[in-house]
Amino acid sequence: MTILEVDRLMRSFGTLMAVAGVSFSIREGELVGLIGPNGAGKSTLYNLIAGAIAPTSGKIMFQNRSVAGWKPYHAARSGVARTFQIPKPYRKLSVVDNVALNALLHNKSMAAARRRAEAILADVGLADQAGNPSTILTVGELKRLEVARALALHPTLVLFDEIMAGLTRNEVVTMTALVASLPARGITVIWVEHVLYAIMNAAPRIMVLHRGELIADDSPENLVKNSTVIQAYFGEETTFA
Amino acid sequence: MTTFGQLVFSGLLIGCIYALMSMGLTLIFGVLRIVNFAHGEFLMIAMYGAWAVTAFLGLNPYVAIVAVVPAMALFGVVVHQVVISPGVDKPHLVLVFATMGLSILMQNVALMFFSADLFDVPPMFDGQSVIIGPFFFKAELLLGFMIAVFCTISLRWTINSTYLGKAIRATVQDSEAAMLMGVPVPRIFMIAFASGSALVGLAACVMMPLFSVFPTVGLNFVLIAFVIVVLGGLGSIEGALLGGMCIGIVQSVSSYYIAPAYGQLFFFVLFLLVMIFRPEGLLGRKGESTVGIN
Amino acid sequence: MSVTSKSTIETKPRRASPGRWWMKPGHGSVSWLELALLVACIALVVAPVPHSYQDVINITLLWGGVALSWNIAGGYAGLISFGHAAFFGIGAYTSTILLVNYGVSPWLGLWLGGIFAAAFGITLALIGARLRGPFFILSTLAAAEVVRIGALNWTSLTGGAEGLWITPTKSIANMVFASRSAYVALVLGYAIIVYLVSKAIERSRYGLVLFAVRDDEDAASAAGVNPLTARTGAMGLSAFLTAIGGSLFAQYFQFLDPTYVISPELSFQFALLAALGGLGTAIGPALGAIVIMPLSELLRSYLGAAFQGLHLAIYGGFLVFVMLYLPGGIASALERSTGRSKETP
Repeated sequence: MTILEVDRLMRSFGTLMAVAGVSFSIREGELVGLIGPNGAGKSTLYNLIAGAIAPTSGKIMFQNRSVAGWKPYHAARSGVARTFQIPKPYRKLSVVDNVALNALLHNKSMAAARRRAEAILADVGLADQAGNPSTILTVGELKRLEVARALALHPTLVLFDEIMAGLTRNEVVTMTALVASLPARGITVIWVEHVLYAIMNAAPRIMVLHRGELIADDSPENLVKNSTVIQAYFGEETTFA
Repeated sequence: MTTFGQLVFSGLLIGCIYALMSMGLTLIFGVLRIVNFAHGEFLMIAMYGAWAVTAFLGLNPYVAIVAVVPAMALFGVVVHQVVISPGVDKPHLVLVFATMGLSILMQNVALMFFSADLFDVPPMFDGQSVIIGPFFFKAELLLGFMIAVFCTISLRWTINSTYLGKAIRATVQDSEAAMLMGVPVPRIFMIAFASGSALVGLAACVMMPLFSVFPTVGLNFVLIAFVIVVLGGLGSIEGALLGGMCIGIVQSVSSYYIAPAYGQLFFFVLFLLVMIFRPEGLLGRKGESTVGIN
Repeated sequence: MSVTSKSTIETKPRRASPGRWWMKPGHGSVSWLELALLVACIALVVAPVPHSYQDVINITLLWGGVALSWNIAGGYAGLISFGHAAFFGIGAYTSTILLVNYGVSPWLGLWLGGIFAAAFGITLALIGARLRGPFFILSTLAAAEVVRIGALNWTSLTGGAEGLWITPTKSIANMVFASRSAYVALVLGYAIIVYLVSKAIERSRYGLVLFAVRDDEDAASAAGVNPLTARTGAMGLSAFLTAIGGSLFAQYFQFLDPTYVISPELSFQFALLAALGGLGTAIGPALGAIVIMPLSELLRSYLGAAFQGLHLAIYGGFLVFVMLYLPGGIASALERSTGRSKETP
């Protein structure tokens, strides 16, 4: 069943066409990567889907509902969670409370929300930071906090935005395993990433965005042979053995 | 009809003087992204300075400009180093409250030294008015207007044509990028703050012949200044001039036709309307008010 | 599914060093300091205190309550307002006009004042819905000035600049008491109630929502929170509680004048007490009022005669210093000196 469908989505900022007619559809339970050079429009696409900005034109259908132009809290309440590329923690709150707020959406009491938050923090390896202020976390830990916050919303669709940045090799492996486990838990994943080795190994389907347009939508094996993709990244003909 | 015309033109003239007073505020906001809640008190002590030069040296307030403007610039440097600079990287409420504390401090120091009495400078041109067509204007008003316009033009020229102006524009657009390009941003901040203070000094000298000074005079004027800069667009110099003209006219006309007290009410209502429908003001950059300042 | 093996995630167990300032909403637990303050306040009410001190105690407690009310909007929701005197005045004038003109008991009138103020507060929050930072602050200032000028000129209703008197026919129903200590007890009750409301918010879902909207509105929105409803609710509640303080003020001083009661200076004072004491916690504004008000009275009586204004100059300088070097206010200084947080995770 299609969970997300995007049809000729466009968003311009003045004369800049950040998203220039993107169309794709994603089925429930898929794990889809989204890559592209800087400035490709990935963040704008996320902002459009998650409701942070409204499209200039085009359609966004979530679970067969037209949702273009909805507000972020509508998205969250409907089961769409996102992480922020530059983490946005609640600076004056503790790590566990950062996650507990998101857990409040589906847990009525503060105590239940905090318990759920602690469980999720354990999932991302931040359990022993739970009581600490969020200001002492490193960049890598903040990224993991973003993941925890997204998961706390009991989402059906999650939009990860460069969650591997700042993680060590080992941490990347464990985080990839976590992400890969989500479809089995009933969570569809779209995953923007620059750490290519992680995403190329884990995602069976990857979309490539370049200058606001979708230039490829294929398996990793086919993508590395795709000359358009190679040109977009490297600017000239390069072949891989 | 000539009454209405008289009101509009006098309002225009005084409005430009109000604009001069507000220009420092908008410059400081444009560059440092802070609102100086002690702005009115800067005007107040500059006015006392102008008064002192007049009373003790026998000069007129316009000549006092030579002394007051540099003194205020220096004062601005000191305040920037001591109060503003430590707070610039902190959440905006730190400087909001710090400048408020500064305003309380300055008001009461003035009270201690000058008492609560009103001080004036003697009228310069024997109270004569200049006659232009069917209209009468006080000479001080006309002179103040000309100085204000000249100052706006000079400021615009400086910002457009000098290296300092370029550095300021770069800092306004993106202070981090400017710093990476070699612009000494902390020094630009200091220069902007000092210039804003100097502008206030200039305004004070021009206003002294028209208004009395007393320790809490700042509060009246700072509210006017806030309205003007918001109306014109925070950070826009021409906006301050335009906003000042609007406010001057609104105040002049409504004070006459409705009631002097209600004159103030109208421009606060105007302020709120601008905040609701066009928070970036007439000439400001869109999105400033929603993005927020930090 | 879950990654629990710590050896594969390189986490360095790091605890926040004691004494580093950060604020966490309390869990409704009451600390020793709070209990001690409560006992001290009750003692002050009950003990026979000379009249001149009673005024100071009364003002301290009342201003404490109002600062706590301000803090709900300013400290918890991040809506810094320099216009709260408008709410204060709406409360004061509503209950007083109802009493003087219609014989309505202030015990009833203060609720109506609170409701009017809340409505005004909600309107303000809606007007300022898209405004942040200094823009929002300035619009609260402008709105309060509109109220002040309106009150000043609507002389038929408010008595204008001449003010409004309450003629004291002493009765409990009129909230006019023979003994000053009755007033002080009333005001203490008010302060305690606002304090308890603050603590309740801190430990509740709603409190966490307000803190999140304050700290990062976009993230809170992405978490399912509608920032506008959070902000308007906080402003409305804050206005309501402030207005009640205004009614109590009217009953004690029995004279209202818009130039003072709805002034920017008063608005600043409420905000400053909360900021000096420590925004964002319940103990902060309470400490702010308890420390600053008597101190400024003391300074005024000792220094006021010699140099008019010196005490306020010191106050201003102190404010600058605290805001720059101790932004968490007195409350955070206390936390640091005891070396531990009062609230446990």
